[in-house]
Order: sequence, then structure tokens, then C-alpha cells
Amino acid sequence: MKEVLIPTIETDRLILRAPAPADVAPFAAFYASDAAKFVGGPLRDFQVWRYTAEVIGHWQLRGFGRWIVARKNTPGAIGLVGLHAPPDWPEPEVGWMLWDGNGKGYAAEAARAARDYAYETVGLNTLISSIAPENAASIRVAEGMGARLEPKNFEHPLFGTMAVWRHPAPEALS
Amino acid sequence: MNTTIPVIETRRLVLRGPEPQDYPDFKATFTSYRARFMGGPLNAYEAWMLYSAEIGHWEIRGYGMWMIHDRQTDETYGMAGGWKPAKWPEAEIAWVIWPDKAGHGYALEATHAVRDYLYREGRWETAVSYIDPKNLDSIRLAERLGAVKDPEAATIDGNDAVYRHPAPAALDGTQLAHGIDMEINHYADPLFKPKGWALD
Repeated sequence: MKEVLIPTIETDRLILRAPAPADVAPFAAFYASDAAKFVGGPLRDFQVWRYTAEVIGHWQLRGFGRWIVARKNTPGAIGLVGLHAPPDWPEPEVGWMLWDGNGKGYAAEAARAARDYAYETVGLNTLISSIAPENAASIRVAEGMGARLEPKNFEHPLFGTMAVWRHPAPEALS
Repeated sequence: MNTTIPVIETRRLVLRGPEPQDYPDFKATFTSYRARFMGGPLNAYEAWMLYSAEIGHWEIRGYGMWMIHDRQTDETYGMAGGWKPAKWPEAEIAWVIWPDKAGHGYALEATHAVRDYLYREGRWETAVSYIDPKNLDSIRLAERLGAVKDPEAATIDGNDAVYRHPAPAALDGTQLAHGIDMEINHYADPLFKPKGWALD
């Protein structure tokens, strides 16, 4: 198998990098909290370990995937952002979860970098984001990125009914 | 990836890391009744999560599950390898054979090879297998591999029996090792017809 090296991306304030074993603890703390209720939470520690392993494996199977997000000036994972496209998914998705530093625009900054990567490096022509209808903070991020609400929902196999937001095409961003 | 998944060759099989094109075979078994002793049947998304996680496991632990292929045709027969996700008390030797590929000794041949690899290259000093007490096929395979039920060992969640594999020294040129090799060679010989019904 051709092995995929998970790239590192820098934005103004953030680093997007491959998940490491030390990231499981903060990720699990997020998934144990009420904040994870819109993304399938709560999950137990051992489930989050597997989730982290899944994020790594996704890169090998699809050639792209999600990154751990960290601040440039502070060590430690603050979120998981990037591309998600299991075989039975409606379309490739850009997703974001942020468990530290909320309200500073970090999610949007990382998600824009992930969207750029999808369009410029992977060569995708369109992207969706599936977001729980009550997840106001995440909807603000989607709106800020120029995404529009689609009429049809997506039944997530674990998270339940999700609204589908469609991102601007590459041409509309250049 | 930092971990390069090694390739293992046996008399009839070649074992490689899980690859994208093998996913449909994995999904077929793990979304079926066959997966009832392995936390399943899973829905399609859970099957994908587990398959991806098997690759991530290699990266995190440095070992993991291999896909079992036929040496000649490359078709897949199942998986075997080392498995220790979070919550596992000890590193496990695990296996699964697709339901329509059982009865040819593939699980025995593959699991014997991966155990040998993990003992020699991975420097494992001991290994267990966590098996549902109702999974008689797997218990039988554990016993054919020389594993013995270990009532003292910690279980995953109390619903599994722990089988302890023979230590590396007990498999180094011993009668037990010769017996396993002989059984595998019998399976590989097309003239050999087992008297009983081979289960795995």
C-alpha cells in the first residue's frame, strides 16, 4: 500500500497536524462533556481512542482526512478539523470540532485551511458540512464560510438528523 | 504513516496491511451475523470506523491486524494479528475468517504466523485472546494453537473468556509447534481429507 503522510498546515494562528497518542486525553475530555452533544457525544475514553485511530486510518484509506488543531503559541490539541468521506457518505465533508479557545474564530480559520486543501490539493469541486440543526455555534462558522443550507437533511448513522450546508465552489472563492 | 506494515508469507497465504480495496470484504462480514461475537453486527458506518481504526492502531501501537490473502489469487479470507485498543487489559492475538472461507485452516495458518512474528519481531513475551464463551469455533482454534483458558487473567468486560497462548519458548522447536505445523501442512495438501468437520 502506498503510505500517506499526513501533511502539516500552518495558518495565521494555528497548526493542523497528524493526531498523536497524547491528543486522545483532551479529545476524550471533550467527548465526555456536554459540549459534544451535537457530534455524537458523550463517548467513553476507549471509544475516543478508537475514534482517533479512525482519523489516522481515514488518511490511509482515502488519501485525505482530518487534522488535530493546535495553537502555534500553546502546545496541546484544541480541536479536530478536516475532511471526512467514508464510502457510504453522501459526499465528502469538511467538519470541525473545537474544545478549547472557542469564540476566537479558530474553528473557521482551521476549516478554511481544510477547505482550501480539499480544493487545491485533493482536487474536490464541492464540499458539504453536516451540522446538527440546534448547533448554533457551528452554524455560525458555516455561514461565515459562505456555506448555504440545503433543503435535504442527512441521516447520520450515529449522530441522527443533520442539516446539510453546501460550501461555495472553488471558483467562487478565488 | 510512521509505521510500515510488514508483509508475512506462509505456505498458502500472504498477510498485508488493510488496504482500501479490501474494505467491501471486511464490511460484508462485520455487518453480518458472523460478527455477533466481535461487537457486531455493525452498521455500515461503524464497520468503516473499525476498518479505519485498524490502520490507526498500527500507527499508534506499532502492530495491528493483517489482511489475509490467498498467495495465488490474492482474494481475502479474513484478518489476523495483534490487537490492543484502549480498555484491553493485555495485548491480544485476534482473528476473523469470512464465513464462506472457513473450513480450510486459513485462520490457523495465519494466526500461527502472526503469533510467531509478534513473538520474534515484536518481542512479545506472552499473549492472550479474548473470546466470547459461545464462540466455539474460536475457542477450538485457540486450543489448536495451544492456548489455554486463563481464569486468573483480567477480562475486557466480564463477558469474554481469556485464553493464554503458549510462551515463545513453548513454541520453539517443541512437540506443540510441530503439531501445529503438521496440521497446517495437512490442510495445504489437496489430498488430505479431514475426518471431522473443520471449523476454522
